[in-house]
Amino acid sequence: MDRREALQQLATAIALQMASPHLLAALRELRPLIGTQTGLRTLNSHQDATVTAIADLIIPRTETPGAADVGVNRFIDLILTEWYIDEERNRFLDGLADVDARAQAASGKKFVECSVDEQAEIMVTMGGQMIKEAEAIRKTSRGYRGSLPKPDKNFYYMMRSLTLTAYYTSEQGASKELGLEIIPDHPDACASWQEAREAKTR
Amino acid sequence: MKTETVYDAIVVGSGMTGGWAAKELTEKGLKTLVLEAGRAIEPERDYVEHVPASEVKFRGMRDRSRMQENQPIQSLCYACDEWSAKFFVNDKENPYTTEPGKPFRWIRGRQVGGRSIVWGRQVYRWSDLDFEANLRQGIGIDWPIRYADLAPWYDHVEDFIGISGEALGLPQLPDSRFLPPMQLNCAEKVVRDAIAKNFRGERVLTIGRTAVLTRPHGGRAACHYCGPCERGCITRSYFSSVNATLPAAQMTGRMTLRPNSIVHSVTFDPGTRRATGVLVIDAKTRTTLEFKGKVIFLCASALESVRILFNSSTPELSNGLANSSGELGHNLMDHIKGGGATAVIPGNEDRITIGRRPNGIYVPRFRNLTTKHPGFIRGYGYEGGAHREGWERGVSQTGFGVEFKKLMRQPGQWRFSFLGYGECLPKHANYVELDKEKVDAWGVPVLKVHCVWGGNELAMRKDMSIAAAEMLVAAGARDIQPFIDDDPPGFSVHEMGTARMGRDPKTSVLNSYNQAHDVKNLFITDGGAMVSASCVNPSLTYMALTARACDYAVQQMKKGEL
Repeated sequence: MDRREALQQLATAIALQMASPHLLAALRELRPLIGTQTGLRTLNSHQDATVTAIADLIIPRTETPGAADVGVNRFIDLILTEWYIDEERNRFLDGLADVDARAQAASGKKFVECSVDEQAEIMVTMGGQMIKEAEAIRKTSRGYRGSLPKPDKNFYYMMRSLTLTAYYTSEQGASKELGLEIIPDHPDACASWQEAREAKTR
Repeated sequence: MKTETVYDAIVVGSGMTGGWAAKELTEKGLKTLVLEAGRAIEPERDYVEHVPASEVKFRGMRDRSRMQENQPIQSLCYACDEWSAKFFVNDKENPYTTEPGKPFRWIRGRQVGGRSIVWGRQVYRWSDLDFEANLRQGIGIDWPIRYADLAPWYDHVEDFIGISGEALGLPQLPDSRFLPPMQLNCAEKVVRDAIAKNFRGERVLTIGRTAVLTRPHGGRAACHYCGPCERGCITRSYFSSVNATLPAAQMTGRMTLRPNSIVHSVTFDPGTRRATGVLVIDAKTRTTLEFKGKVIFLCASALESVRILFNSSTPELSNGLANSSGELGHNLMDHIKGGGATAVIPGNEDRITIGRRPNGIYVPRFRNLTTKHPGFIRGYGYEGGAHREGWERGVSQTGFGVEFKKLMRQPGQWRFSFLGYGECLPKHANYVELDKEKVDAWGVPVLKVHCVWGGNELAMRKDMSIAAAEMLVAAGARDIQPFIDDDPPGFSVHEMGTARMGRDPKTSVLNSYNQAHDVKNLFITDGGAMVSASCVNPSLTYMALTARACDYAVQQMKKGEL
């Protein structure tokens, strides 16, 4: 049964309990594809939930919106579908699976089922791994520019990169969180940060 | 199809120099046809400088697969981004070739305005240090002009385009007629002061001299600091031909601007030894048209103008029109870049910049002025500047959560960069020719580019890195990272020299007024005319040469000499 057929049958079934055991088995197999019902094209619903959870741990909702509020998952799905090459997409999805494997090993649960503290612990571990890889690059490369070299083969680095890009370039992230203006009121080469911040919240 | 109209002048190209030729020739009374290979540009529709990242599909990460497919070369240029990619050519439609292992990056714009829409806007006068260098060092040939010949034309161009900058009175970098300068930010002032103190006038840091208005000028508004000029400017605050020269030409009522007109070749009458017009391929219908003109100005860029002349070969002139010297296509130069350093400037943590200044710093040439550098001749200048790091720094950090979010809201460190741009020596062995095996999407034979850096350029690039680090040390910078990148020729997008000026028709293509030695009514005023490269950005000089050549051409026409 192909995806289109499965979706069609699902849509026409009055209720799930009326569906045949055969259909239900097929649907379980097609779970990644059923995820597209959320409008996503690469992430299945579980992967989507994991991505959303990690993104929201990085940038939670405070007095301004968080990563989930601005739909970071949709941007990540777009990149996975249309921007990453196969190798990168696989690395990212493998990385997501690895997050669950870590959670499973540590607490016998999937990442999204873990407590915030358990999740945070996994994030810290992944961060440590990312820094190690960055340092390795720093040692071997001829020269780099910017604060740190980019371990862009590391899942956590990829995830952070996409999360921050999606959040801070979103309408809410740029204007509400960072207070950026396309056309500044009063351009100033050497302004007081405090005063500028206060002027904006006034 | 033939048209009976004979234009007083035909200008090929509508960019930096084509716009100037159009303006000057029409203002002097000439009925002028301006031919542009690319499409028309309507600022209200095509400019996208105020479109936020949230409204472009990949949020500034670019449409990667489409770019790899259609613009693998163009997208190497920083300005060819998700907003401005439309101002760069499709590489599949516009191929060129190189030898294996000898890359040349040819960044091109085919639309009304050409590359003047996306240029870097830095403008610097040449000095006699530049004009006399070839003669003094016995390299290439001597320039047929000196600073005094061009100075009034620099004035003329600057008065129209509007240049902001700081007067310094340096002999190696004559001052322009400046509008008020843009401001250095706090970290740049720290570096400027440290350089002044430690290098005692030998090295100077100043604000970039830029063709961006700091007050209203000639009916155009002052810059509003939105930042990305290369996406267009609805207030016309930076100079481009679309923003300034073409509207001026239009106002005369004497310009006919024809987009989608790919000039294949110049037609030539062997009896009169004069050009008679141009053959054009209509980019949309692919039909061939002929236009007649009394004088032809090639302003299509150093490489495109030469390509047209090669494609104008006749059985008699088998190596191209205006090429009795054999120098056409040779002596190709660019500016070498890729050497510099970046660092963190401590202090001023409570200060930020508001707005996006579309300009950086400049350090004028300081090598081989009064002392002699052991490793190379001529010199380089630095562009660059400081900014406070933004949220991008957070990607490679490990933090997350409320505290991390709070931290990202605060500006990061002041990061400063020096990026060197160095003079390239003219060499006969760096050249372009027609590739007989390949044509573009319109069937026009393409160029094969042969260009490599020489030892002098490579030694200079190394020094850019060292000298930049020295200044950062003097400024008390932290985390100083010198770099030497392997940028190939062409990447500064300052290609020039392929139809050089000179006094002797045996060794040069053009005379001292950009007039072809071999064809009196043919002028080339783009980068092709350059005899040497200096280390400063060349557009201002191209524009001044164009205005000067137009003045001469009209005088000669009046005398009946063309």
